Amino acid sequence: MRAAIVWTILRREWMETLRNRLLLSTILVPPVLLTVAPIILAGAVGDRALPADLARQILTQKPEWASFSPSELAGAFAVQQFLVFFLLMPAYIPLSIATFSIIGEKQARSLEPVLAAPIRTVELLAGKAIAALVPGVLAGWVTYVAFVLLASVVYGRALFGVVTDGSWLAGVFLLGPAVGLSSVVAGVIVSARVNDPRVAQQIGGVVIVPVVGLVLVQATGTLLVGPLGYVLMSLVVLAVSLVGLRIGVRLFDREAILTRWR
Amino acid sequence: MTQPPTETAVALRAAGLGRRFGDRWAVRDIDLEVQRGEVLGLLGPNGAGKTTTVRLLTALIEPTEGTAAVDGFDVRTQPDDVRARVGILTETPGLYDKLSARTNLDFFGRLYGLDAETRAQRIEHHLRLFGLWERRDEVTGTFSKGMKQKLAIARALLHDPSVVFLDEPTAALDPEAAFIVRESIETLRKAGRTIVLATHNLDEADRLCDRIAFVRAGLVRVDSPAALRGALGKRSLAIRLASSPSPDAIAALRQLDGIGVVEAVDGVLRVSATDPESIAPAVVRSLVAAGGDIVEVRIDRTSLEQIYFDVMGVRPGADGIEAPP
Repeated sequence: MRAAIVWTILRREWMETLRNRLLLSTILVPPVLLTVAPIILAGAVGDRALPADLARQILTQKPEWASFSPSELAGAFAVQQFLVFFLLMPAYIPLSIATFSIIGEKQARSLEPVLAAPIRTVELLAGKAIAALVPGVLAGWVTYVAFVLLASVVYGRALFGVVTDGSWLAGVFLLGPAVGLSSVVAGVIVSARVNDPRVAQQIGGVVIVPVVGLVLVQATGTLLVGPLGYVLMSLVVLAVSLVGLRIGVRLFDREAILTRWR
Repeated sequence: MTQPPTETAVALRAAGLGRRFGDRWAVRDIDLEVQRGEVLGLLGPNGAGKTTTVRLLTALIEPTEGTAAVDGFDVRTQPDDVRARVGILTETPGLYDKLSARTNLDFFGRLYGLDAETRAQRIEHHLRLFGLWERRDEVTGTFSKGMKQKLAIARALLHDPSVVFLDEPTAALDPEAAFIVRESIETLRKAGRTIVLATHNLDEADRLCDRIAFVRAGLVRVDSPAALRGALGKRSLAIRLASSPSPDAIAALRQLDGIGVVEAVDGVLRVSATDPESIAPAVVRSLVAAGGDIVEVRIDRTSLEQIYFDVMGVRPGADGIEAPP
């Protein structure tokens, strides 16, 4: 695989993404909302305490929060919910970029001239995949850093420690990219079969379902995933993504694109 | 990239080339040689296998059987080398509408490994050649169909390919845009480019091609337009008279040497002959002697359209093209 060719593909993808206002808005708006929303929620929670049963349930899973005051515990629990939202960004942004990119090329029939050049399909796929993956992962990371900076000001030291503990770091920096990769793979596979980016996003959005499941489990307080849990989930998602990638590479075969993609 | 074999006069060669999709052969038994500087037309109806042939010869898809080579590089074993040596205009321009003309070409220049200086020079040269230089920084989504097609041709030429493949270059274009594109191809022809032109436009093939290959799931016949007319064409003398010729005048004509069929249609007397020029004076004398008032005499050549119907084994029917009984 030649890096110069992959970079050429990636560069063109980003140039087109920057000129696609709809796509750009779906990349830029949610990170801003996700940075601001926890701050608003913190204000809404105020000095309220959690119900005693829920507080006990949380402390059995997070004994390190035992020193928190009732309001800090309520704040920590509320803020903890936002970790999964930082996983949604690397999930839906690569999905949006990949589906717009591949289906856009199908509709414009611009892949044939590219495939007629001395380029290997794996280089084309790599360029497209990286171009889709990087903005999503970076958006997740940059939003997280902004969120942490705001949290240090708004929440105080106790909650600052919550959003920078092992769970958050493993979630944002390991599971996030793994979910992003699975999203790209879903985008490639679905885009090979459908001709409308919105339909592809709806179908490909199935990769977000496990993340939403994680949101629900955490919100009820029945399971607050720790660092090891996030590392294990990252490995599972990565393994599934690599299996999916093999299917994606087969679908991205030169002949398949030319003769079967309609 | 592999070193090129010794350059020969043959730019493109195919032997027994065929491609099957499932149980159906799209094309089969293609034997072909294209000389450098030659313009070869692939002529056939929709679905005849022209695009498949182009894709096989440009190493876009693999042959099921047979071989093909461009500049001596095999499409099956050296596909990257083949792709580096061919330029292709696909059925649709396939441009990136949100990018400018210059950025579109720059992207492809990079894919073909051209350095920055060469890219800049060639992009300017080709945009000027096709009259697009003034609009180089406009996004191609604002271009007309003809302009997009010209830009796509420029893209196919950017890396200075040995053989240029043009797949239906004027299909779906309005007459003005088609004219502009045909003029562009004529420019390439005059510049000595080796071109394979896939088309179902008979006039285009007749005007632009040195040889024409009739395609119908394979090559039915390959020859120059002149040779096709010589071998298959029927020539005739068409005489328009002020009034319908008398039966006696027609009978007198039939007595002349070298005359084939004589028939009168809509006031025009059509006399078929192997050498119409030599019998024309005798025919005119005979008609004048029989009291005919001649308005016009002309020699009709068989059109490529008629030759196409003959070669492809179809004939125009009341409801379109029909297979012969």
